[in-house]
Amino acid sequence: MTEQSGTSTRLTGAVQDLAFEVVSALRSGDHVGGVCGGAGIGADDGLGLAAVRVLGCDVLLPSTMLGRPADAVDLALFQQAVSVFPPAQDAPAVSAWSHWAMTRTLLRLAGTTDAVSTYPRPGGPPAAEPGAAAADGAAPAGEVGATAAEPGTGWLDDAPWQTLTHQLAVLAALAVPGADSGVARVAARRPVDVARGFVRAVRRRDWLQAAGAGRWLSVAGGAPDTLGLDAGLTFVAQMGAPDARVALHVHVAQELRAGTTA
Amino acid sequence: MASVEPVIRDLTELQDTELEAALNPLEAAGTFRDTRECAALALAGGQGGILLSPPTPRPKKG
Repeated sequence: MTEQSGTSTRLTGAVQDLAFEVVSALRSGDHVGGVCGGAGIGADDGLGLAAVRVLGCDVLLPSTMLGRPADAVDLALFQQAVSVFPPAQDAPAVSAWSHWAMTRTLLRLAGTTDAVSTYPRPGGPPAAEPGAAAADGAAPAGEVGATAAEPGTGWLDDAPWQTLTHQLAVLAALAVPGADSGVARVAARRPVDVARGFVRAVRRRDWLQAAGAGRWLSVAGGAPDTLGLDAGLTFVAQMGAPDARVALHVHVAQELRAGTTA
Repeated sequence: MASVEPVIRDLTELQDTELEAALNPLEAAGTFRDTRECAALALAGGQGGILLSPPTPRPKKG
């Protein structure tokens, strides 16, 4: 295992604190106040904002899953994280996708595309000025209802099932009720491969990957009945309990399996 | 929206590579990579009984 720098360690800790707050909010159902405040993250906290960027759309999960208005402070920090941490032009697809999903969530919950206009499409021209018509016919940035074009899924379409599962698990924040994205479509098209990856992750004791794969299987459906996904999720939650992100993914998966989401 | 300048200043200690590593982590180290067995367990594992069993011991080298 590679050693983390002090900053990386603190970032990991901040992500864990934030994930813990999100899980608490989801479990309580009547959580009052935002998750960022609970994790001690403010607008002047760069590392905290980075943690918001890393946890991605899951920061606003109490709103997207429970169907309640987003906390104003959470929303502002979420938007700030989107603006401050856009993916680079040569960023890996995973980074581009997580940022795209955040801009889309922001648009859905806040009706704003202020941050969307900062999103540089990998391999594409610079983002259009607000109100300017996009060259490819997409809706102009800056207009409510518009969002940046989806990054591609070419790197996932024919990926080996091990790679597919790992990448999907990293993008587990995109696995939400009603998920509609290229990544979700790939996951829905390859359920047996994701199931194989779930088994592999459990047997490698990679609880975070197993939780993420289980979340995708719960959202996309199609998991073989013989997989024993419910028992597997319970096992993963127990074994991966020290990791708040595992708890978060498993909670979402189990809620989806139970059909109790908003 | 509040100015992001104070945030950017505060971020000077966070390297781009560190954030990218957090956004796109490598797969955690593991030891069990038997492709055929994973496929079989996913399709015929029953109600989690075989899935949740401990991995088959690997023969020791040397």
